[in-house]
Amino acid sequence: MNDKRPIIRINNLHKVFGRDLHVLRGINLEVKTGEVVAILGPSGSGKSTLLRCINFLEEPTAGNIEVDGVVISAGERGKVRDAHILQVRKKVGMCFQSFNLFPHMTAIENIIEGPVTVLGQSRKESIPYAEELLEWVGLTDKRDEHPSRLSGGQQQRVAIARSLAMKPKVMLFDEPTSALDPELVGEVVDVMERLADEGMTIIAVTHEMHFAGDVASRVIIMDDGNWIEEGPPEEMFTNPKHSRSRQFLAHILK
Amino acid sequence: MNDLADTAPDTIPQEAKLVLDRIDQDSKRFKVNMVIAFAVLLICMFAGLVFIGLDFKFMFNWLGFIMTGIGYTLLVSFLAITLACILSILGALGRLSSNPIANSLATGYVSLVRGTPLLVQVYMWYLALPQVGMALEEMGIQGVQRLFTLPAIPAGVLALGVCYGAYMTETVRAGIQSIKIGQTEAAKSLGMTRRQTLQRVIFPQALRVIIPPVSNEFIAMIKDSSLVSLMGVWELSYRAIKIGRRYFQSLEMLIMVALIYWVMCIILQSVQERIENHMARGDRRVS
Repeated sequence: MNDKRPIIRINNLHKVFGRDLHVLRGINLEVKTGEVVAILGPSGSGKSTLLRCINFLEEPTAGNIEVDGVVISAGERGKVRDAHILQVRKKVGMCFQSFNLFPHMTAIENIIEGPVTVLGQSRKESIPYAEELLEWVGLTDKRDEHPSRLSGGQQQRVAIARSLAMKPKVMLFDEPTSALDPELVGEVVDVMERLADEGMTIIAVTHEMHFAGDVASRVIIMDDGNWIEEGPPEEMFTNPKHSRSRQFLAHILK
Repeated sequence: MNDLADTAPDTIPQEAKLVLDRIDQDSKRFKVNMVIAFAVLLICMFAGLVFIGLDFKFMFNWLGFIMTGIGYTLLVSFLAITLACILSILGALGRLSSNPIANSLATGYVSLVRGTPLLVQVYMWYLALPQVGMALEEMGIQGVQRLFTLPAIPAGVLALGVCYGAYMTETVRAGIQSIKIGQTEAAKSLGMTRRQTLQRVIFPQALRVIIPPVSNEFIAMIKDSSLVSLMGVWELSYRAIKIGRRYFQSLEMLIMVALIYWVMCIILQSVQERIENHMARGDRRVS
């Protein structure tokens, strides 16, 4: 793992909401190709904001972010930067807590939307791969259903397929299972696990312990906008060094 | 998942079936009663008209003449609605724009037009604009006066279109803003530009939200098109008022023209329902 180059490099990232809500306080992070990173921390610790800064859904206030060789700094402006952001978003897929499928489109239409609108493929050439993805997430029979007729777990799996249709190099997961009924969490984590097995680089904000403990190669703990500590999951869950990590882990491992 | 259904045969108890039957009966009875109530209401109205001695023969004789005015009404309404739709989309984009010029233009447009009576606006286009043309001509710009002196129909179309465009701007803006931020974020995270996000994700969803209020505007506009009669256009209501006055039978004429507008609006309403049903396409509101 160590010989691989970092695909994401975050330098001294700050995010301030309004004038004084300091949500990220100088985060540094490197993620190598193929790594599976789980970010943990109490709510309000800035994990989601950090994730959302990586594809610029949230505009960083200071610092810079490098994704696959494209460096974008906070505070810059202009057309070149906007183009860079689009470039980064094409390489980085994202799944949301509330799925955010397009409700006016069927499952298959959701999946081909990116390739057709963003990559300029025709519907016809984008459909075979979309069907492949749909099969991969186990929803071939829901091909022509609208999202409102799918369960939460099914919606999230379609959302994952939608992101994968863009052939991203990194996948971001923002609490992908938090909005799901308990019995539906497994099917989504299972898809994430298979994605990790296929070598996808993943950064996930999640409290799903199977994913963080068994699938992730690295666990990061954040608190109050700060990076607290990180390490392999077995080490982090059995022997955290920092008192704040211990406190938090005691809470969720209970 | 279907274990339960496989093992235990599904039996709805008899008493539950009775309850379900009763619910069915109730909803059927409600529908029948509604039809009866409407019929009674219409008969009462008709009887009332007969009672006050309405001259139906007179109405029938002039029906053809009045109906020829429907062409103007439809023409003015259709053109004004088209103009209003274009203006409202531009206006909504302006109101949501971060460009200060576009934003202030759109905001000013909505404020000014919504803040003045339509009647004044109609006269403004028809009577006041030529004066502006005259002033400009005197300043040495050739040919503007003719350009600014509008015939009745273009003036009416502009007045109605610009006015309804302002109201609809707010409807469209609210429709766009009603779409959850998550939709924009999902589109962005796929790499869509702002324009693509609007076209592919926001507009199609906003359209569904704004169809009922926009239909409302359309219906109101059909009726407000009668304002062009102020400029002497022989449309529906102008004809009815003229004939009514001439023979001192305004009641007949006004009732007739009112019914014609009503029928037009009922047709429009059924079109609206059809579009709504089509857009619903089997999806529930919650997601």
